[in-house]
Amino acid sequence: MISKRYIFKRLLLLVPVLFGVATLVFSILHLSPGNPATVVAGQQASAEEIRQVEQRLGLNDPVWVQYGRFMLDAVQLNLGESWVIRKGEPVTSVLRWKFPITLELAVLGQIAGIMFGIPIGIVSAIKQDTITDHLSRVGALSGISIPIFWSGPLVILLFSVSLGWFPTSGRLTQRAYEGGAPQTTGALLVDSLLEGNIIMFIDAAWHLFLPAMVIGIYSMALISRMMRSSMLEVVRQDYIRTAHAKGQGRKITLLKHGLRNALIPVVTVIGIQFGSLLGGAVLTETVFNIRGIGMLLVDAITDGDYPIIQGTVLLFALVFTMVNLIVDLTYSYLDPRIEQ
Amino acid sequence: MRSTEVATGTGLATAVRRLATAGGAGVVVGLVALAGLTLDGTLRAATETTFAVGALLLGFGVLGWSGSVMAGRGIENMQRYMDTGSDWTETDSRRAMARISGFGVGVMLAGSLATVLL
Repeated sequence: MISKRYIFKRLLLLVPVLFGVATLVFSILHLSPGNPATVVAGQQASAEEIRQVEQRLGLNDPVWVQYGRFMLDAVQLNLGESWVIRKGEPVTSVLRWKFPITLELAVLGQIAGIMFGIPIGIVSAIKQDTITDHLSRVGALSGISIPIFWSGPLVILLFSVSLGWFPTSGRLTQRAYEGGAPQTTGALLVDSLLEGNIIMFIDAAWHLFLPAMVIGIYSMALISRMMRSSMLEVVRQDYIRTAHAKGQGRKITLLKHGLRNALIPVVTVIGIQFGSLLGGAVLTETVFNIRGIGMLLVDAITDGDYPIIQGTVLLFALVFTMVNLIVDLTYSYLDPRIEQ
Repeated sequence: MRSTEVATGTGLATAVRRLATAGGAGVVVGLVALAGLTLDGTLRAATETTFAVGALLLGFGVLGWSGSVMAGRGIENMQRYMDTGSDWTETDSRRAMARISGFGVGVMLAGSLATVLL
């Protein structure tokens, strides 16, 4: 059982992490060259117009006042308004509708990675140094080595262009839904289920399959390798030998006694991987033309939309730390000694 | 009970002294950097850069500190388990990161002081 004190301690540590990230983002944006007021006012704007924009955005205030205001607003979840991309729209509102798209993609990729990675790792460990093990090793190394920006177009060429099994881009077959996509959570699979629209659910899953698999391949490769080595480590432990000596079958011993202990390092990889999947979503979204938070971030950096950049990075940091917290809590569940 | 209090008090005082020393060094370095940057441009640009560099150090230090607290024990155990000890300890890392944070705050203070005073 995980103690409340442990959870509270971990939650408390989120405060310095978010403070550190917010400070880092603020400093990096202020060290980057260029005047944001010029970006907002436009390249053709006069000096007077630029001065007015600076005044309106508070860019004329001393830097420490700007820092204090940014931190105070961030604490109140007020991340300001978009300067360029969605001019005047609150950043929280922009992120509210963009983030579920990326999260849906990352979660699907992670599920694919776990669903294939763990069984492949276990089979490789059980059948160590056989042809199955060698094949899985080659597959895993290929998965780790091939970058998304290369595997993505290849997968599109094969499954969409040549075979025509999956769509090349987007999240829905737009013509099929004249009323537009539902906007309950922002995640299409969830929204279509909430509406009881099975056809839309299947359509969304059909569109998301390829991008999720492309993201999942890398995750699967890493998880399967970690699962294999961790399982092989556990197999050599005394308690496994004891279970064998008492007459328990090899596979049952491995799955019943070995798997839980072998999962601890794998859970770490899954947690760290999730952060990478969010980062990888930037590339995947670009390749598959999915307008999630990754593409939003790229656009914001290109256009110099500082509030969007700050909000997106803070959101990524929050999600990453929350995933790490969940990973830590899972450790304690898998091995209660860790809490001590 | 009493010895714990004394020990805690001593620990806190040491930590505050460590932060203050790093902060003082930060103020001095920040003022020197500010002077150098002002010679090369405007005071406003110099204070902005100095403050931002200080914030960068503070952010890095705070993230490093919390990372050490969160994962330090795990890294120590892993080093012991894998027999790859490198003398890295959670305590040392935490102290180093606290110094960097203090130094960053000092540099930020130098930038702010210049804005207020000049």
